Amino acid sequence: MATVQLEVHHVTRVEGHGNILIDVAGGELKRCDLEIIETPRFFEAMLRGRPFAEASHITSRICGICSVGHATTSLLATEAALGVVPSEQTQRLRQLNFLGEILDSHVLHVYMLVAPDFFGAGSVFPLARSHPEVVLRALRMKKLAGDLCAMLSGRHTHPITMEVGGFTHLPTATELEAMRARLEAARADVDATVELSQSLTLPAFERETEYVALHKPDEYTFIGGTITTTDGFRFPVSDYREVTNEYLSPHSTAKHTRHHRDAYMVGALARFNVNHDQLHPRARAAARALGLKPICINPYMNSIAQVVEIVHCVEEAMALSDVLLKRGIVPEAPPKVEVRAGEGVGACEVPRGTLYHHYRVGDDGRITGANCIIPTGQNLANIEADMRALVPQILNRSQDDIRLGLEMLVRAYDPCISCATHMLKVTFV
Amino acid sequence: MNEEVGAGLAPAHIRADAQAGARPAPTLILGLGNPWRGDDGLGPAVIRWLQARGLPPGVLAVDGGTPGLELVLTLAGDHKGRPYRRALIVDAADLGRAPGEWVRFTPEQARLKKGDVHLSLHAAGLAEALALGEALGTLPKEMVIFGVQPAGVDWSPALSAAAQAAVPIVGQAVLQELEAV
Repeated sequence: MATVQLEVHHVTRVEGHGNILIDVAGGELKRCDLEIIETPRFFEAMLRGRPFAEASHITSRICGICSVGHATTSLLATEAALGVVPSEQTQRLRQLNFLGEILDSHVLHVYMLVAPDFFGAGSVFPLARSHPEVVLRALRMKKLAGDLCAMLSGRHTHPITMEVGGFTHLPTATELEAMRARLEAARADVDATVELSQSLTLPAFERETEYVALHKPDEYTFIGGTITTTDGFRFPVSDYREVTNEYLSPHSTAKHTRHHRDAYMVGALARFNVNHDQLHPRARAAARALGLKPICINPYMNSIAQVVEIVHCVEEAMALSDVLLKRGIVPEAPPKVEVRAGEGVGACEVPRGTLYHHYRVGDDGRITGANCIIPTGQNLANIEADMRALVPQILNRSQDDIRLGLEMLVRAYDPCISCATHMLKVTFV
Repeated sequence: MNEEVGAGLAPAHIRADAQAGARPAPTLILGLGNPWRGDDGLGPAVIRWLQARGLPPGVLAVDGGTPGLELVLTLAGDHKGRPYRRALIVDAADLGRAPGEWVRFTPEQARLKKGDVHLSLHAAGLAEALALGEALGTLPKEMVIFGVQPAGVDWSPALSAAAQAAVPIVGQAVLQELEAV
């Protein structure tokens, strides 16, 4: 009977710190944990006592990759609490900004974190040597996405122009036209991304689970919608706790969640499974070419769903630019905010899945309570359920292969465990 | 080199500053760091000092901030995709010296330790970007790094007195380096 003890300290090519612990004795799986050892960051406590207008700028700092996602979700929560309705133009500009961030994050994950596994490279550095064109393409696409966000939010990361009800700065028609042209020119890179992904062979692991994503009747939504699951449940975002049911787990500093099963999955694959009909036709064509069909229950295919969303984001960003250009960008004063006590929930589909912000605002306009539920926290229980199903199937393989299979599984979820700070260290030779 | 590479990498306001008075751009001066992290702001401070003094034509001074791996594209060429002949980089660096002391070195003369046991793409720094640029073959032919020892890189919007005093000295050293060729 198989006995395997596997400890992967600090899984690489994920954001933040997590360990994989597997203990199999006599063929029996004794332990199968994804340990989250990152320090809790207490953003919800930091918000208490702060004026409502600061909330989006504070929570944007939760993540350097999905700062637009946090800021937008934060604004939705504040606007729900204060009864503010942003204009149609503001909503479109927020959408365009959001598409830029999804694109940026997916390119980072697919090319820099996942692709090396398929080229037999330990990281992006050997990949740069063996396939420089692949890495340069990724950097080009990331820059396009970053420039799109900078055009709308004033800078690439941590949007400065977005405020409750509107924008403090608007792009000019000339800037928008130039960006539209760059997006169109990027189709070649997008097609090459689909082609590259077609050549990858993903592990054929499947496990049924519940997929949860926001849904809107008339669009493939990233901002707002109804919480919708592949098990047939629907909830307004104000009832998010019906789905998330956060609980503590001794081996994780991040809370886990569960709905009516032990676990559920959020992210690109969940969005695809719930909203595939609403993808742009070119993205649907890419899904067909990549063999991605709803309902797909192979978690490794999350990276492929991200590629499909890359196609969608570039096409939608062009279409949205056309609408904005046709209507003309008009200067508009943000709606007047009447300070009052209130409570509101915002929800968005950020790159890694559904993000919830829930605020209570006092009658002086200061935040009295906040709750933020991050996609990676929602996926942790599902990753562990996948590991428990996968390990018995691959026990006969070498320790290295088991480790790689598990690491690739964790990476497929694109977990974002934290941000890190670094400083240059020099040793002279 | 694809025309797009390097095009418009820096936010527009930084590009506009940098392009003033610079037509062809064979030399890049790049200051790296976060001014909200104490002496990590040394790089940008030296860039501001150089911009205030004025630079010879054909020299581009850029506050690179904390750009991560996209630094590869900044170093790969200017906004029109023309490669740089050389790049002078100013960055806070742990040199094991007294705060404010600085060392001029080339990438070959030093081993730049990557930030962590694994690559975090959130916060890839100069070492990672140089390694990737080297692997891609897109680095300028000639590169010089001015590493300045910080007193601290904690949360602070101001430079320490030692770092403040180092700004004009390092700025002068960069100007001398420009004249050296």
